[in-house]
Amino acid sequence: MGFPWTDGAIRLAVLWLGLVGGIAASRDRKQIAIDIVTRALPVKVKRITDIIAHVFTASVTGLLAWYSLRFVQDSYAFGDTLLSDWPAWIFQLILPIGFAMICFRYVLRALREFIGPDL
Amino acid sequence: MILTGLLLAVFMLLGAPLFSVIAAGAMLGFYRAEIDLSVMAIEFFGLSEMPILVAIPLFTFAGFVLSESNSPQRLVRLSNALLGWFPGGLAIISLASCALFTAFTGASGVTIIALGALLYPALCEAGYEEKFNLGLITTSGSLGLLFAPSLPLILYGIISGVSIDNLFLAGIIPGLFMLVLLAGYSFWKNRHARKLTKVSGREVLAAIRESIWELPLPVVVLGGIYSGYFAVSEAAAVTALYVIFVEMIVLKEIPWRELPRIMRESMVLVGAILMILGVSLASTNYMIDAGVPERLFAVVDSYVAGQASFLFALLIFLLILGAILDIFSAIILVVPLILPVASQYGVHPVHLGIVFLATMELGYLTPPVGLNLFISSFRFERSITEIFRATFPFFILLLTSVIIIAYWPALSLVLLD
Repeated sequence: MGFPWTDGAIRLAVLWLGLVGGIAASRDRKQIAIDIVTRALPVKVKRITDIIAHVFTASVTGLLAWYSLRFVQDSYAFGDTLLSDWPAWIFQLILPIGFAMICFRYVLRALREFIGPDL
Repeated sequence: MILTGLLLAVFMLLGAPLFSVIAAGAMLGFYRAEIDLSVMAIEFFGLSEMPILVAIPLFTFAGFVLSESNSPQRLVRLSNALLGWFPGGLAIISLASCALFTAFTGASGVTIIALGALLYPALCEAGYEEKFNLGLITTSGSLGLLFAPSLPLILYGIISGVSIDNLFLAGIIPGLFMLVLLAGYSFWKNRHARKLTKVSGREVLAAIRESIWELPLPVVVLGGIYSGYFAVSEAAAVTALYVIFVEMIVLKEIPWRELPRIMRESMVLVGAILMILGVSLASTNYMIDAGVPERLFAVVDSYVAGQASFLFALLIFLLILGAILDIFSAIILVVPLILPVASQYGVHPVHLGIVFLATMELGYLTPPVGLNLFISSFRFERSITEIFRATFPFFILLLTSVIIIAYWPALSLVLLD
């Protein structure tokens, strides 16, 4: 049906959608998380646990962004291709960008909890 | 190993997003195995090699559009016109229409908000007991998970590698069984009800005319899927296009300027699911490499002998899991681990899927995090305890049906070849 690479293009689009949606979910605080414990905490304690959770998430996504960048660099260096002859790194670039933006969001949130709402 | 596990669990309980906890676990594992961590990106990129994945955003979007439109009202009116004369009819209508709606919109609580809010006053007005109504509506919010094209069913297929068509077939009888059990209870509970509506040919016709545009949807999608005419992703595309066409162009119930907002809202949910799915591709791969399923089996095997006691342990485990995790994360995280263990005990992967989802349905009704309890409590302004008490008889019935579904594999498997 159609071009031989439409199927692959659609699947790549879903991956992009997932990461863009993931960035939006981080922004909207809609990432799936367990909140039974934190919901019950007093405000002051919750601020501390929030900072810990945000710093944790920021570190993990920071690492993910860094290693995704390495993955993209390798793919660039090897000249990997996708969808017949497009350079693969173009499509893979969403990984480091997406993770970096999520990381940024959590750094910001941690700072905001730390310094106060003025930031 | 155990220490890191505990530490990760702490971060999870402190409210760190699930995907970051899973990613951290996988990265630690790969790091110890001295594997370069860019493997995380390679695995995550593997999302783009999963063929059926496109069904997830499409069905989610279609579900969001449907629940913003007036199709819930039309669905209720039509089923009331058809079944309102029957003792307990309205209750049975509620069950059936909620199941249908949930199958199409995914059990994200939207059923209680969209349909429950209509059905609850109607039930009260028809003279049903208030406590019964609360319980019924809360329970109905997750009914229908076992019917095509429900998202959890598709996700189980993607994760387990089981054919989704087989899962759709396998869900029919257990799903109907749950429905019939609850309908029977509703009938029995309201057998003396007096206020029954009369059948009116005119009302039936008017209701049909009103919902003429939506009626083809379940027929086309379900017919297409079950007859094998559509692949799942094609059915998803047809549903999304059809829903846009009907609600926005023909009926004009949703203005075009709302479209970006609905798209964004649905894509936030999709993003949250795909983030977890992407990182767990990596963690699953690590765990399989590290032989975790085998070790898990060894542990389980030393406590549990035989299929019957395995199923019992599984039900208990899933009930607890369902009470603390949402259904999508539970499927993504747990299925890759228990699938190999279950097959060692001779549990068919399709049967396992049905048992898994049926038990998860109960999780929606179990405190502390049962989603339906919260949504009902929020929507109907009752305390969680009150809602839980009202739901209890339904919970027991569903639990019974889950046990029967678990120990009677033929219910799930008889429709397969």
